[in-house]
Amino acid sequence: MAQRLKEVDVVVIGVGMVGSIVAKELAAAGYKVVGLERGQPRFTVPDFQSPGVHDELRFDIRKALMQDNTREPVTFRNQGSQVALPVRRWESFLPGTGLGGSMVHWNGQTYRFQANDFQLATRTRERYGKDFLDPDVTIQDWGVTYDDLEPHYDRFEYLLGTSGKAGNIKGKIQPGGDPHESPRSRDYPTPPQKEHFQGALFRKAAASLGYHPFPQPSSNLSQPYTNPEGMKLNACVFCGFCERYACEHYAKSVPQTVILPVLLANPNFELRTGCQVQRINLDSTKKHATGVTYIDAVGREFEQPASLVITSTFAINNVRMLLLSGIGTPYDPATGQGVVGRNYAYQTMSTVASFFDDDIIINPFMASGASGTLINDFAGDNFDHGGLGFIGGAFIGAVNTNGRPIQYHPVPPGTPNWGKGWKQAVVKHYNHTVMFSLHGSSVSQRQNYCDLDPTYKDAWGQPVLRITFDFPPNDIKMAAYVTAKGVEIGKAMGAKQVAGSPRKGPYTVTQYQTTHNTGGTVMGDNPKTSVVNRYLQSWDVPNVFVIGASNYPQNASWNPTGTLGALTYWAIDALKNKYLKNPGRLVSA
Amino acid sequence: MNAHSRRVWILLAGAMLTVTATRTMAAGPAAAPAAQSTATPAPAAPAAAATPPCEACHGAHGEGMEAAHVPRIAGQTAEYLKKQLDDYASGARDNPIMSNFAKALSEQQRAKFAARYAAMTAPHVAAAQTAGAAQLVRGHQLAYQGDETRRVQACNACHGPDGIGVAHAAPYLAGQSAEYLASALKTFHEGTRKNDAGELMRSVAARLNDADIAAVSGYFASIRFDRSTH
Repeated sequence: MAQRLKEVDVVVIGVGMVGSIVAKELAAAGYKVVGLERGQPRFTVPDFQSPGVHDELRFDIRKALMQDNTREPVTFRNQGSQVALPVRRWESFLPGTGLGGSMVHWNGQTYRFQANDFQLATRTRERYGKDFLDPDVTIQDWGVTYDDLEPHYDRFEYLLGTSGKAGNIKGKIQPGGDPHESPRSRDYPTPPQKEHFQGALFRKAAASLGYHPFPQPSSNLSQPYTNPEGMKLNACVFCGFCERYACEHYAKSVPQTVILPVLLANPNFELRTGCQVQRINLDSTKKHATGVTYIDAVGREFEQPASLVITSTFAINNVRMLLLSGIGTPYDPATGQGVVGRNYAYQTMSTVASFFDDDIIINPFMASGASGTLINDFAGDNFDHGGLGFIGGAFIGAVNTNGRPIQYHPVPPGTPNWGKGWKQAVVKHYNHTVMFSLHGSSVSQRQNYCDLDPTYKDAWGQPVLRITFDFPPNDIKMAAYVTAKGVEIGKAMGAKQVAGSPRKGPYTVTQYQTTHNTGGTVMGDNPKTSVVNRYLQSWDVPNVFVIGASNYPQNASWNPTGTLGALTYWAIDALKNKYLKNPGRLVSA
Repeated sequence: MNAHSRRVWILLAGAMLTVTATRTMAAGPAAAPAAQSTATPAPAAPAAAATPPCEACHGAHGEGMEAAHVPRIAGQTAEYLKKQLDDYASGARDNPIMSNFAKALSEQQRAKFAARYAAMTAPHVAAAQTAGAAQLVRGHQLAYQGDETRRVQACNACHGPDGIGVAHAAPYLAGQSAEYLASALKTFHEGTRKNDAGELMRSVAARLNDADIAAVSGYFASIRFDRSTH
């Protein structure tokens, strides 16, 4: 029997990046906020200190920072006709757990999406005609515009201290930056990180082909920085242990370094860790949330009543939270009706490996998670897709993040997969190879979605999330096209051998690609095709807000975190200045 | 100038006089092992032309001079030593005595001396253990774990396990003179030393107070570390 606790103003489910920022703002505004985090509390000191924090076996292979999938797995299948099975080893994507969430193990790549991305359906029709796309593609506009989000992107980047070079300030193109970016109101808070040798080789080759290379925007900082919250960050030391690891140097912008200490110092906020939220509770009308029910680390069940519930868990877990709570109509791919779980998308990752002779020494281990050089000439809608038969694109960049011995061993095609031949090839190529990442967009498609698994349950007896996904033909075509461009750049670098690996289907969960799962609680202007309105408020239960990359109607060519930070501040603005002053629907259905 | 640095100047001035004196005397037999000498500089080696000016203060074996804040440099990487000499020469690191020496050296000579001391091993100077038990505990904590309330990461995160240094990246701290470490941390703390990449040491030292500087310096000095055995 659940013990009923004293009512609070706000419950935040998941104290990661989004949860920390929302809780901080609302607690500072005077509301009583409880943050429920399923994982452990953890801080730079003592939890992230070396040498333990660089244990590659523990973090890379055994995924120590990730959601415990022995207790809380997801199931997966490519097609609706298949039986989904539990993912017992995280590989394709890596949802984090614990205080600070997945951001603790991010690479710090901090992009904005382009204006076009937020009106993708409209702009695609305008530029290429209404019949250009495969009818199964379900892309749609976001309900917000880039101009709506610009101040919030700015605020998020200044919270993080992001190191970069602007390419477009208020419409004026800036030399050295990305000329394709949508206008920003001012430059990045700190200058770009130092360029590594791979980046320099890439930059020269890309420029020689007429492209526009620029430094990767990085939230592993180039210099010490004090953010508007008063938090001080250090400069990154290029240790090569960002993605999948926590930073021991206070140099990577994560909740612990940019906001959590401010939040935790506010007596209006209470953090409870080890708390597994089972569901958001609704009253008998099913139109109003009364709070949440959770089970703590020793198995006690509590009901936490609240006036406002914000679910800010990892993208796919937001979807599951709504499904478990009965909020919104689950999506049915057979009819195309329903919204929760609809428009699940991902990221279409390809690679190009350029192999050099011994005289070109790369030192791949000297890197941060975001110290690369890249071009956006083939990202988004920055090139003419007429006649190509697909939309979207990828950034192409020498953005390799590490040279860690277990994970990093590029070898040319045709190398044996094991044994003496493989070992010799690893030794030969380890320090003489440039890896490009081709970070591609992902359209939403009718057959790709999330729902509750009919068979498998988590350790608390609740159905786990089932993901049904395969790469849409649109994205396979895009990957092939962009990879060919990447190969040309590799050749222009003077590499002896260039191997392009365009992403091909079927999608597999057994190979790492990215942790950029999007969709399932899509935002929009129409309740028939979206779960939340443009302020991230549930259409069905107005005192529930859902904030995550689960709000993206489809995924763009860049890492999603920058946009999620902007959406977070956008939603906070609506909460503080609209909803909390007069609770109710912010947009009439 | 604080009391510490005043004492340094006096001792180093004495050391320089000794250099002059030994050179004038055109030198006698080879020096006794420097380990037996603490407060006084090691006598210079015989051939004046081949004798680096470093010896008078840093010792014939690079063992340093604890009381005068003169660091141990034996077995420190050539890359690190060369950078410090270059920075003294360019003014990027400021110290009147070292700047005078470094400026007088050609870049080639700076590289040569750096390589020479990098290749040396030196027994430890038996300096008096000045850090108390509580200081050693606090120093160990800062070295291994850091301090979340001060937002200071573990020293060993950059300076290697037990502070034994990381090639190409960070000098060893283990076995270093406590007096030197404390004075180096103070110059970073005050921001008067600025030759750290990315302001890494200034960022950390700015958040350490005098007690922590004394504790962590005493802790690293207490580690008996011989580069030749690592």
